[in-house]
Amino acid sequence: MRNCAISSLRSFCLALGLAVFIVACGTQNENLSKGKELIKSDKRRKEERAVREFKLAIQQQPDIAEAHYLLGFYDSQEFYEPGTPEWEKAAIAERGNHMFRAYQTEQRKYLETLIFETLRDDEPDVQNAALVALQQVYRKGDRSRLLSQLEKAMKSKDNRDRHDAHWVLGHLGKEDPGTLVPILVKLLDHGRMETRLNAVKALGEVGSEQAIPSLAALIDSGSAKWKRDREKPEVRQLAVEALGKIGGAAVPELVKIVQNKGSSLRVDAIRALSSLGDEKAVVPLLDALKAQSSREVVIPFAN
Amino acid sequence: MLKTFADRNPNAFILPLFFLALVFGLGCDSRYYDERMQMEVQQLDSDLENRWSTSGVVVLAMTPNGPADKADVEVGELISYIIAEYPIQNAGDFNSAMKKAIDEDNNLVLYIKDKPPFRIAIRRLGDKIGLKVEGGSTVRVKEIQPGTPAANLDIEVGDIVEKVVDERKIHSLGDYKKTLGEFSKQQVTFRTSELIGVKIASVTALGELGDTRAVEPLMDIFTNSSELSLRKAAVSSLERLVELSALNELFQQFQAANVDELPADSLQAQQLESAAILGLLTVDLAENTATLKAPFGTQFRHRAAALHQKINEGQLVTLAQRYIQRAVEPEQEIRRACLSMLGILRPASAIDALVVVLKNPGELPGIRFQAGLALSQIGDPAVDALIAAFEGADTSTKDIAVSALGGIGGTKARNLLINALESAEEPAIQLTLVDALAKIGDAPALEALERQRTRFQEDDTGIRIFLAEVFKNLASEPR
Repeated sequence: MRNCAISSLRSFCLALGLAVFIVACGTQNENLSKGKELIKSDKRRKEERAVREFKLAIQQQPDIAEAHYLLGFYDSQEFYEPGTPEWEKAAIAERGNHMFRAYQTEQRKYLETLIFETLRDDEPDVQNAALVALQQVYRKGDRSRLLSQLEKAMKSKDNRDRHDAHWVLGHLGKEDPGTLVPILVKLLDHGRMETRLNAVKALGEVGSEQAIPSLAALIDSGSAKWKRDREKPEVRQLAVEALGKIGGAAVPELVKIVQNKGSSLRVDAIRALSSLGDEKAVVPLLDALKAQSSREVVIPFAN
Repeated sequence: MLKTFADRNPNAFILPLFFLALVFGLGCDSRYYDERMQMEVQQLDSDLENRWSTSGVVVLAMTPNGPADKADVEVGELISYIIAEYPIQNAGDFNSAMKKAIDEDNNLVLYIKDKPPFRIAIRRLGDKIGLKVEGGSTVRVKEIQPGTPAANLDIEVGDIVEKVVDERKIHSLGDYKKTLGEFSKQQVTFRTSELIGVKIASVTALGELGDTRAVEPLMDIFTNSSELSLRKAAVSSLERLVELSALNELFQQFQAANVDELPADSLQAQQLESAAILGLLTVDLAENTATLKAPFGTQFRHRAAALHQKINEGQLVTLAQRYIQRAVEPEQEIRRACLSMLGILRPASAIDALVVVLKNPGELPGIRFQAGLALSQIGDPAVDALIAAFEGADTSTKDIAVSALGGIGGTKARNLLINALESAEEPAIQLTLVDALAKIGDAPALEALERQRTRFQEDDTGIRIFLAEVFKNLASEPR
């Protein structure tokens, strides 16, 4: 009896699955399927031909998410004569817009795809298109979900996730440092060293002076009392580099490092200053030269 | 269980407590205010320890008019040794000084009357110096034990011991506290140090920044420093400053228009190229733009004129002229950099010195060639000197002089080269002469090359092939 119930349940599930599958197939756009087939094939100029199919699919069903995503992914200016409208439409920004259209229709799915798959593609154009799409999400979409996904990627075990996320966060931060800098600063306390490393890098790319105090504190932690309070040298070194990218108000911080003879980052700070080309660096550097290589100071016995 | 363990072994608890106290007392505070010196010092960055042989503590702050402040200790200084002296007035003084100074990894300096100080390194605790002394007001050496450090020094029985100096290397804040404690009743000396790596980085950065104020300090390091690595860095920074100063004309065009972007074709192509190589601007030929790179290029246009003036004041030329001589500067890299500076600055006053280098058979071929290059950069004023150098010289001198003359061109140089080619027998020189004349490339030079082509028509040597190549290139070049 019980057995029978289970088997009938199982057949019901199977039937349901099959039905869903058939319905899905039925609704899938023919051109979309053709395009996907082409991509999987080893035909000549398959991407170029697939792109044509994706475009047709969108003509028939303007809201078809997958076709938008795939068009954004595979389209390329190399397929067209420069200057033609087709060529214009294959620009990175347009490709990013298509990816964003896909996101608009199926937010959850494509947010994850963009962050954890698209950014990982070897093709810089694809990465850049994904960046454009994510910037659109930041401006017009579910911002808090985007940020939490990016934070999740920053904390990932996988180096590629962290790297991609830091890159996007750095770009978003340039637009809106007020929101992004505090998020990145919070990541400076994360337990995973590589996460902190990427947060520091992103702060450098954001280039906002808001990040200076946190970076300075992290740099100073090298002489902290307890070992657990000391940041790892490689992270501190990158923090100096980040100060160099920020420039402006970070210059005095870099000068302070140069002047602190107990700091292991003086050479890094000097390099950062020299690449900034800021005039304010000249006098402290001349002072560093004037310092005697070695001298003896007699302290008379105090009576 | 715990109780019985403790009962059986009462030290088991005391020992960890002791270590804890030790850790608290010595190793852990990263800052320490010292009452006697009235000065606060800080532990080095943890990752600096044992790197670049750096050790010590850093001066953080001083109480005004305290002993450290009065002695002119500076904030930021790295104290890497604490040194104390023990005056020796009797044998007891000597023995107690030795007892104190014999410590692990320590240096002690023995001062013997009428002899230079002896520095003795003690590696392990318990090492013996091997000296016995005697005496009241003058303390003399009584015995030297064989096989000890003292036996290897120029010390004799009867020598008068004046004082012992104890140099303690400071590895940590703990060392600092401990050592000052031990020297609490003595006058102490701090030995501070500066990392050479930091100086090298500063020197390099000053070259990058292209600021006028760096010129004199860099020349000072170049002439006076005893550190070769620092001198090398200084001379290459000077070289960069000279390269930057040579772009003054270009930068004045940006400055006059007060813009950071100009049409590329309005600027001199060669200067544009070197500015791009030096990373000051980017050239976009399709857009016909030359854009100064921010921040350095944009800032430099305001500084270019001052740098150009400073570099051309003349001191640098005098200096470079002196240091191209092998007898003065043993380091070839520095001689080469000086030659390159002279090539950019093109002072006629340097011609004689350059010819000396060019002709010097004891000099490296590459350096001699570089001297020839500098002469060809000086141009017309150097022609007579090069011709004189060519006459009656050995093959390698001739070779260099010929290519320098080819670089300069002009009637006089060209006529000499034609005559030389027509009488030359050595294949090596023939090739250089052909090359030089092809570079000059005016009608008489080409006629001379044509005559050579006829002369070597039947020949199967390199010269025929080379001539064919030269004519092929001349034909393809638009003239």
